Amino acid sequence: MKKGTFSFFVGPSVFIMLALMTAPLLASIVLGLHYITFRNLDAPVWVGIQNYEEVLGDPEFWDSLEFTLLFIAIAVPARIVLGLLFALLLDQVTRFRGVFVAAALVPFVMTPVVGTLIFRDMFDRGGPYWYWMQQLFDYRLFMNSTTVPLLIIFHSIWTATPFAMIVLFAGLQTLPQESLEAARVDGATWLRQLWHVAIPHLRSLFVFIGLISIMDAYRVFDSVFVLTSQNPIYDSETIMYYNFQVALTFGRLGKANAMSVLTVLGIFVVLIPFLVITYREQTEED
Amino acid sequence: MTRTDNPIARFLIYIALALFTLYNVLPFAWTIMSSIKLPKDANARIPRFVFRPTGENYSELWLNMTPEAFAPFGLALLLIFFILVVIALSAKRIPAPNSAVYLGCIFAGVAVALALPRVVNTAEFYDYLINSVIVTTGTLCVSLSIGALAGYGLARFRHVVSVYILVIALAFRSLPSLALVLPFYYLGQLSGLYDTHILLILCLVATNQPFTIWMLRSFFMEIPREIEEAAMIDGAGRLKSFISVIVPIMWPGIITTGLFTLLLAYNDFLLARILTQINWTLPVGIAQFTGGEDPGHVTLAAAASVSVTLPILVVIIFFQKYLIRGLASGAVKG
Repeated sequence: MKKGTFSFFVGPSVFIMLALMTAPLLASIVLGLHYITFRNLDAPVWVGIQNYEEVLGDPEFWDSLEFTLLFIAIAVPARIVLGLLFALLLDQVTRFRGVFVAAALVPFVMTPVVGTLIFRDMFDRGGPYWYWMQQLFDYRLFMNSTTVPLLIIFHSIWTATPFAMIVLFAGLQTLPQESLEAARVDGATWLRQLWHVAIPHLRSLFVFIGLISIMDAYRVFDSVFVLTSQNPIYDSETIMYYNFQVALTFGRLGKANAMSVLTVLGIFVVLIPFLVITYREQTEED
Repeated sequence: MTRTDNPIARFLIYIALALFTLYNVLPFAWTIMSSIKLPKDANARIPRFVFRPTGENYSELWLNMTPEAFAPFGLALLLIFFILVVIALSAKRIPAPNSAVYLGCIFAGVAVALALPRVVNTAEFYDYLINSVIVTTGTLCVSLSIGALAGYGLARFRHVVSVYILVIALAFRSLPSLALVLPFYYLGQLSGLYDTHILLILCLVATNQPFTIWMLRSFFMEIPREIEEAAMIDGAGRLKSFISVIVPIMWPGIITTGLFTLLLAYNDFLLARILTQINWTLPVGIAQFTGGEDPGHVTLAAAASVSVTLPILVVIIFFQKYLIRGLASGAVKG
């Protein structure tokens, strides 16, 4: 493809992105170097890297980072494992397949604000889950600093497992039939087919789901906002929630922008292997 | 993979899938129940699964008039809807191009929906629905058309410039939405477009564009070059061969990407909140039901939740086959 044609194809998209997104990105970088609150919006004070020092020296930041990483460490593998499990089960059946998939889409497509509210109602006093737990296990659920983080993690598994399941199920439909046939002729059991044919084939999908999940988990906000009712006693702030508090509760806009820059950098560190693959793909001659 | 023939194993598989289905839909099913309860049933200490259903919550949410007064108009609407569906389903027998019939039906439906508030006294929630539909459709059209062009260009132009564009797009995507609040708000005020659909559509397109071009690029990478080269040898230009050869075989990929764009645009809360004052979309409209102590509040919030979720659910379930086919064809190879 010639350079001129390329500019023509990419032009509109790049133009709209640069026009609208450069300002926020640059603003984050510039404002992150200033002391700025809602009171001195017109006259920010240059403070250099002091905001960054403050963020990195703040124990609350490290607490929120710790919870975010814990969240990622539990929620992301759980999604992938459960997603794979149900994709494999779905692959075994033909009847009612459409019904199972449609049902799985429900928590996934729901508007996040709505989904979180609904989820909270199930566990609130008088909600079915709360009631059944009390009846079946004689357990009275209270919102405290143990249960709220668990609920936040459970909520994310509830909403995101279906996505993993559908992507992996789609992947299972494209397994190389020759390899499967060869494995069958050799008398390989289902488990061996899974281990030697299916899982290697799905590897890039695991990476895809993993990356998307990590990016989203890193920025989880809505469920924390609703499930904690913005009450700090539950000890379950994530990075984005901390960012929100710094910006709106304490009005430290400069510090919040410094955090945004740190978030972008953090995500990029996680994505380095993925970027290397893309670089190779794009520059190879074919 | 090999399917098991063991009847016990098959039985257990169905049980497991049924339980998973229950776990997926139970919260929404509970909300549907709450939405047709009277407040005294919804606020009971022990959850009630048997109760006298009521339509009051929905009529309070959607109408500024009594349900009795609305009934004739409701019947008329159902009739119009029914006629349009019948016409669309029998498109093959009408002596006109199929697409013209479909477009005509959609156009007529939209015209009726837009004219409705002039005839019937609808509540604000109806305006939010109209705003949501306009903004989502606009975002979808703009985002997919410019995104498809860019995704195709990036897949075909093997050069380090493409990598720069993709990496910058990723940086934009990873920017926390909180960082967008102030710049976008100022942009709205400065351009005089604050509280208009156009501004919201442009901002949603810009924020969704990184995801769109990354995803479409991975779909276009799968298409062998020979296909459009053959068309170009016949004398077609790049753009013409793109539209007449590539796009038709890429429908599953474009629809899949479109569904994700649709979800992002329809569910967006933050941008719609900061860029509008009265022209709210549904997610912003529903946020007013998230707090409060009024006992009638729970049932109204449930009715609002169901009303927001159902349209998007119907669309996605309608397209689920394309979703699976698209994901299977595009994202797998990496």
